[in-house]
Amino acid sequence: MSRWNKALCAMALVLAANQAWAQHSGIGRAATPAEIAAWDTDVRGDFKGLPPGSGSVSHGEVVWEAKCASCHGSFGESNQFFPPLIGGVTAEDIRTGRVAGLAKGGEQRSTVMKLSKISTLWDYINRAMPWQAPKTLTADEVYALTAYILHQGNIVPGSFVLSDKNMAEVQARLPNRNGMTRKHGLWETRGKPDVKAVACMRNCGPEPRITSQLPDHAAGSHGDLVEQYRLFGPVRMAALPVASAVPAAAPAVVSDPGRSLADKNGCLACHAPKQRTIGPALAEIASKYRGDSGAESRLVAKVRAGGQGVWGTTPMPPFQNLQEQDLRAMVQWILKAE
Amino acid sequence: MADPMRIRAVARDGVVNVRVLMSHEMETGQRKDASGKLVPAHFIRNVTATHQGKTVLTALWGPAVAKNPYLEFEFKGGQKGEKIIVTWEDNKGDKRSDEGVIN
Ligand code: HEC
Ligand code: HEC
Repeated sequence: MSRWNKALCAMALVLAANQAWAQHSGIGRAATPAEIAAWDTDVRGDFKGLPPGSGSVSHGEVVWEAKCASCHGSFGESNQFFPPLIGGVTAEDIRTGRVAGLAKGGEQRSTVMKLSKISTLWDYINRAMPWQAPKTLTADEVYALTAYILHQGNIVPGSFVLSDKNMAEVQARLPNRNGMTRKHGLWETRGKPDVKAVACMRNCGPEPRITSQLPDHAAGSHGDLVEQYRLFGPVRMAALPVASAVPAAAPAVVSDPGRSLADKNGCLACHAPKQRTIGPALAEIASKYRGDSGAESRLVAKVRAGGQGVWGTTPMPPFQNLQEQDLRAMVQWILKAE
Repeated sequence: MADPMRIRAVARDGVVNVRVLMSHEMETGQRKDASGKLVPAHFIRNVTATHQGKTVLTALWGPAVAKNPYLEFEFKGGQKGEKIIVTWEDNKGDKRSDEGVIN
């Protein structure tokens, strides 16, 4: 290879590494540093990616009551709908770093029982919560909420202030910090591989047909999943194939503007089509107010102001910044539910 | 001794909403352990809540109440900054009292 060629090659490599997109000229452009930063939000176990900031347990309590308690319960006990975030850890667990209740089994597993890295809790809240408005919390709020949850789990005192500086100290107190091990496979195979493939070379018989199937006792053991499917949030991919399982009426419902508004505004997080979850089922609301001509306006006002007591003690949060016509479209859509 | 209770009390329009999470096994006495022996009953029997020395709630509980009970109630007349004291006593005579501040 001539010198000139070598140089060219080296140059091509550098180009390929630095700007892979350039090979496909005319397609896209390099991501800007700001764009990369916007995606690169994960917080690692070694705390790389953790933004500076801090938050106290007492600030966390205020944010929790406002933004989290309606789903997870005032103290994170979540009994009604979601697995509890707190509970099930003892002072002894905090000392050993291994939650005894997990090994014992039979206990409901809470978040503070399972958690082996405090960064995971921070990262999860930061990216995913509150459920109906993810990524709306400030870094300080996430610190405060993390501190609040840790305090509910008796891991830090009520006066604690969590920050990027002392996350490592909390890690050292996490009840299940030593609970994870990689010294085992997914299955107990007793040292043998779990598949044994012997290639057939001669007189092999008919081509096998590969299928996938659930044993009878497992198929349908959770009932009709489509009915329980809780639609939530704007989804970028194509609609899930619910239509095939819910014949006829489904497509018409999907195209209703009230339906897409309810989806966009997080209503469906708490309101499922047929089953009562956090809030009443859409079908229940519709049948309660069928034939009541004043219901639409009353319900628009109710959703705007939030409230409780009509269906139970769980409150619905207020939705004060929604437009009147949007609220009306959503309520009209709900009142048509069957 | 049992873990402290979590108490939150909020005053609004002259009514105080109190939420309490207690930490207790609440064994019914019906459950068997791995070796088939009955797990002895161990549950909260009496619950009282007092505000400024006045009892605002008493409850008699039995083994039908779930583990780590959650209690919510309201009473009239409490003010911000005042204290509410919640006490429970179980069938083994264990007791626990914790206080929360109304805000
Ligand atoms: C509208 C209901 C709702 C609200 C409000 C909400 N959450 Fe959640 N939360 C959920 C649901 C549902 C899950 C389970 C999500 C999943 O498993 O995909 C969850 C899961 C979690 C988990 C993980 C639990 C685990 O062990 O996997 C944490 C931590 C959490 N939420 C914290 C918060 C915090 C903090 C807030 C307030 C900022 C909040 N949530 C507000 C519904 C809600
Ligand atoms: C965090 C959970 C949650 C979210 C999110 C939510 N709701 Fe609700 N909703 C509830 C609960 C709980 C009730 C029952 C309130 C009651 O008992 O008075 C309810 C009740 C209702 C009712 C019936 C009210 C009545 O008085 O009968 C309507 C209509 C309604 N919601 C519409 C909506 C709309 C529209 C949205 C979205 C903008 C929405 N909800 C978002 C929890 C929620």
